[in-house]
Amino acid sequence: MRDVAIVGIGHSKFGRRMDVDLAELAFESIKGAMEDSGVQKKEIENVTLGSAGGWYEESLPAVLVNEYAGFEDVGTMRVEAACASGSAAVRSAYLSVASGEAEVAMAVGVEKMTEVDTLTSVELMGRSGSYLWEFENYGMTFPAYYALYAVSHMSRYGTTEEDMARVAVKAHHYASMNPLAQFHKEITLEKALSSQVVSWPLKLYDACPITDGSAAVIVASEEAARRLTDTPIWIRGIGFSSDSANLSKRADYVGLRATVDASRKAYAAAKVGPNDIDVATCHDCFTIAELMAYEDLGFCAKGEGSRLVREGQTEVGGRIPVNVDGGLKAKGHPIGATGVSMMVEIAKQLRGEAGGNRQASIKNGVGLVHNVGGTGHYCYVTVLSRSK
Amino acid sequence: MPDDSAPPSLRSKRSITLRFNIPISKTSRFWEALGEGRFVTTKCADCGKVTFPPQADCPSCMGSNSQWVDLGTEAELLTFTFVQVTPTSFVDHDPYVVAIGRLKDGLNVLAWVEGGDPAKLKPGARLRVETRKDPESGPYYVFVTPS
Repeated sequence: MRDVAIVGIGHSKFGRRMDVDLAELAFESIKGAMEDSGVQKKEIENVTLGSAGGWYEESLPAVLVNEYAGFEDVGTMRVEAACASGSAAVRSAYLSVASGEAEVAMAVGVEKMTEVDTLTSVELMGRSGSYLWEFENYGMTFPAYYALYAVSHMSRYGTTEEDMARVAVKAHHYASMNPLAQFHKEITLEKALSSQVVSWPLKLYDACPITDGSAAVIVASEEAARRLTDTPIWIRGIGFSSDSANLSKRADYVGLRATVDASRKAYAAAKVGPNDIDVATCHDCFTIAELMAYEDLGFCAKGEGSRLVREGQTEVGGRIPVNVDGGLKAKGHPIGATGVSMMVEIAKQLRGEAGGNRQASIKNGVGLVHNVGGTGHYCYVTVLSRSK
Repeated sequence: MPDDSAPPSLRSKRSITLRFNIPISKTSRFWEALGEGRFVTTKCADCGKVTFPPQADCPSCMGSNSQWVDLGTEAELLTFTFVQVTPTSFVDHDPYVVAIGRLKDGLNVLAWVEGGDPAKLKPGARLRVETRKDPESGPYYVFVTPS
């Protein structure tokens, strides 16, 4: 397998984007990534689109996006790994180059979630499990799945609703400095704690919003990367794993086994450990998910996630800054775009381009992307670095 | 919600209703038994693996010789939640409590806690599985909290 680098990044404004349709939204990021890399259209040999779909009117988003952007005779497909579809798309582009099939490939993530009403979105996400046994008679929702984890974590380790709210306050703080984020207002602990209960103990401010958005990365072989850029960001290791569709088949509810397994594989592939990571994006679809991710990725011991956020260890200046782009929680979570957006953020951080008070201190030149699909159904962990 | 500042959008004239016919021929005994007030599942006749939910093909040895066995109904509450924002197809339903309980033989079950008071539930609490027959939706199962 050849070394592969990210040579171009593009990212749309996240939010309620009723000013654009699916292809127009994807185009914003495709164009951005091409301009960032200087890659010509004819150099891009294939395009993988990450999109969960179901909430927008198109059934074949990959060809639609290709057509709109004018990619002709270019192989494409849509990949689905729920909320980790973006990382799955990046893995596909990575493999195409690593295998020697292509010199330059593109991964695009896009989701358009606000064209249907909110409760229909809630329904479609709630069906993300084992339908007959979780939804048909019991009406599970996405917040409800993560609430099952929150209650167990609180009971086992003494994690509190306030600990979870701190994650939301941190996310909104950094989103306020990210012009591409959905939300730009800081929130207080009191505001988070007094927000509407969605699925107890999770409240509105424990949950990521429903978001439209896109992101794109262009990956290249070493030879192409050296020609295109002075700041290639190397994909050093990808680990991916899965867990049961039906939540009741799991042994416990205090962490995601798929995260533990995917991160173990990614660390081994990249020959690094959790202590080598300068900056990370963790999959914070709910506040409890970020606390569990700290633990499952080895940033702290099991049960100590809330201590890390209480001590500010995951802020800029702390031991390991996490989600200093606002995270899914406040930057927004356009399902299929999220994984690619995370790659864009870590590439920016490693290039030193995050800007202002969002820029983490880069010592080892190593960053980590943690992207979960569903409730730990899928997990992708990708290690990126400044040097190879 | 109408929003005067919203950009122009075209409200599609075409709508579809998705309603699936879900095949249950290999596990129909489960639903019949529920209707008779029994809570059963599959056991692999080749390797002895008991699965819940029931499945005809064994995920352990990949054998396809399953038999039906009774499940115990006593369970320990592992975790729960109180769903207050319900999805579209449950929109007329009162908020509900969902729990995962562990049966004595180690299998987990997810179901509503009927009449469950979320303020009184906590991990470790005792639950019991009971069967229910709904004239419209057919048989299903719930947890109750033994008094």
